[in-house]
Amino acid sequence: MHFAYPPRKTSNPPPFLPRSSPSSSSSSSSSKLPGLVRRRRSHKTLALAGLAFIALVYVVIRLGGRHGAPGQHKPSGKPTAVLVTVFDEAKYSKPYIDMVKDNRIQYAQKHGYQTFFAKVGEYELKGAPASWTSVVATRHALAKFPDAGYLWYLDQNSFVMNPLLRIEEHVMKPARLEELMIKDRPVVPPDSIIKTFGHLKGQDVDFVLTQDKDGLSTGSFVLRNGDWAKFLMETWFDPIYRSYNFQKAETHALEHIVQWHPTLLAKLALVDQRIMNSYSKGGKGAEYKDGDIAVRFIDCTPQGDKSCESESQRFAQQWRISFKNA
Amino acid sequence: MSLSRSPSPVPGGGWASPGLNLSASGRSSPTKGYSGSNGTPVMWESARLKNTGRSGYPSFSTQNQGFFSRHMRSISSNLPRFSSGNQTPYAEKEKLGRGQWSAKSVPLFGRLRGIMGRMGRKVKIRLIVLLLVFLAIFVFYHSPLVYYWRRSSWFGGGQKFVIILAANVGGGVMEWKGAREWAIERDSVRNKKKYVSRWGYDLEIVDMSTKKRYAHEWRESWEKVDFIRTSLRKYPKAEWIWWLDLNTFIMEPSYSLQDHIFNNLERHVYRDINEYNPLNITHPLTDSYLDAESRSPVGDGNVNSVNLILPQDCSGFNLGSFFVRRSAWTDRLLDVWWDPVAYEQKHMEWEHKEQDALEQLYIAQPWIRKHTGFLPQRMINSFPTGACSESGNDTRVHYDQKDRDFLVNMAGCEWGRDCWGEMYNYRELSYYLNRSLWERFKEDLVAVAWFKLTGQKAKL
Repeated sequence: MHFAYPPRKTSNPPPFLPRSSPSSSSSSSSSKLPGLVRRRRSHKTLALAGLAFIALVYVVIRLGGRHGAPGQHKPSGKPTAVLVTVFDEAKYSKPYIDMVKDNRIQYAQKHGYQTFFAKVGEYELKGAPASWTSVVATRHALAKFPDAGYLWYLDQNSFVMNPLLRIEEHVMKPARLEELMIKDRPVVPPDSIIKTFGHLKGQDVDFVLTQDKDGLSTGSFVLRNGDWAKFLMETWFDPIYRSYNFQKAETHALEHIVQWHPTLLAKLALVDQRIMNSYSKGGKGAEYKDGDIAVRFIDCTPQGDKSCESESQRFAQQWRISFKNA
Repeated sequence: MSLSRSPSPVPGGGWASPGLNLSASGRSSPTKGYSGSNGTPVMWESARLKNTGRSGYPSFSTQNQGFFSRHMRSISSNLPRFSSGNQTPYAEKEKLGRGQWSAKSVPLFGRLRGIMGRMGRKVKIRLIVLLLVFLAIFVFYHSPLVYYWRRSSWFGGGQKFVIILAANVGGGVMEWKGAREWAIERDSVRNKKKYVSRWGYDLEIVDMSTKKRYAHEWRESWEKVDFIRTSLRKYPKAEWIWWLDLNTFIMEPSYSLQDHIFNNLERHVYRDINEYNPLNITHPLTDSYLDAESRSPVGDGNVNSVNLILPQDCSGFNLGSFFVRRSAWTDRLLDVWWDPVAYEQKHMEWEHKEQDALEQLYIAQPWIRKHTGFLPQRMINSFPTGACSESGNDTRVHYDQKDRDFLVNMAGCEWGRDCWGEMYNYRELSYYLNRSLWERFKEDLVAVAWFKLTGQKAKL
């Protein structure tokens, strides 16, 4: 048994083609092979470039397709602040209301603020007490001044007394706020188990208000414009609270929501009453002293001997003088 | 001699224990038994008896001891034989390289090298490319790598989704939890687990058993809120949370959430509730004190500002299957969702508790409206014919197998319908619709042909 031999190699092997390097001989470049090599090389670069391009497109699409946070409107701070006041023209005399308006307007002009005056009865409250107008008016101001930095709601029965103090420095500057805010204070004195946060930073505060002897005081508060402010005002104004017959209407509604909803409490700071809410008389809260930014007439009625108008007489001259001197 | 544990019997009838010298291992022929390490073999009396017994077999074991011992001979004679060194019988040697192929003469590696050597360069490259393609297919579709691939934020983005499944509803406190309830739970959980492991999402199974905490505070079924909050904290990379009730079944596990919904969110989500408005909610708001964005029917119109996506069924919002996005807005919503004052006034009217509360919030609060979007119900929450059946079959609401709806929610089946029956039917339907090619070939072609030929149904 035997097998076929493998075919022999020829005795005359074809000569190998000389190796061509670009430097050695230019004559060989005319032969077939280098052209092929060159073509292959260009194919290679083409393929690589194509691959790189696809990778680039992919990366760009990925990066571009990322969903960023929705573009929230950032208030630019023009005007820096808006003063909000609700007037009850049916119950109070016109001269009194005009004087209060004048007080607000002069203060606003001094610092380049704007004023927002609302009237009781302007908004549909669905049977809720008229004092709820302050809440919806503040919400309206937020809508009307989308670029305002701050809102200062100040009750009708009050005067701005110190024209030198600016709200964004006197109250809202983060460093100043951190000094001012009262931490770990029961929200409703004396014994609410819900206390203001102890680890709040100045720049995280969006809502500043004060307490008097009864609890939170909603006659004067400062609000930083933004999404959260709308959230607060709309939640506060919820029809379900308006229909609940809180004893003190919107004040108790605020006490309620602030105690039950930590996302609200987390942006709230309590400051000393005389920072922005001094009272014309002691007893219910801290009494006004010269140099305080504002005074509110407390325990006064629209008409009669204890009327707010007569209470305001004590301060009417004073604020005009201080505004003239400033 | 001391044993660290008590000796235990082995099937052969001896005792598997270190240090014991046994040889009665059930084999017919005595093997070279392992002698005790200490040199002094100890034997149990019964073992000694067996060993010295005339039969050679242990009394209680048979010769048929499993597949291999029974078929050892036939298997081994069928295996290819490799000649091993000098033990090759003489007769074989003479036929070397003729009758029987011998591996020793050309080793495997050498043969491969030979094949490679004879191949052309082009063929080689093509082979390598083919190999790479197969490798890639394996790596990306069949190895565990695919899971991580689909999870990663760059490629699949699966870790951005967390599914919360509400299991153990009631916990058997109010109603008896029988075999059917357990079966429903098992099927539902398995369905979601499979889906999640396929697409690289996270699954959080939460325990909805009746707890004193909620019962005491009159806030049954507001646990949802707490669970969503906990999950947001537990999965810091999650962007979307998908809440699913227990009585749901993912019919099409091959749909990923990204493909099905989120890659084209703006196409699927409608923000103007007038498009489908079973509750007749007045939209948009017209109050003069609101800004333009709050009064617009579509919020700011940017789909990225949608933070809550839910379907509407024939009677309003449905929270059996909905999405929430991680955001400050969501924190606020989860915070105000339950409010004692609202509850005190409305709990008699609110039959569906948190669902009605959300409707109330949507109606009253512009800030909630602005960031809520709706999905057509059948995208994530098809109903079986039993639910919403008052007005007959509704193409907006009811499952249609022709359209291959994504998910079925047997909503309300616990009120007088057969939950387990529905769950079973939809499970089988889902398996049927998602058969593999091979199964289709077997069942649609071979079995049918067989039936035509023989008149008998074949089970393949």
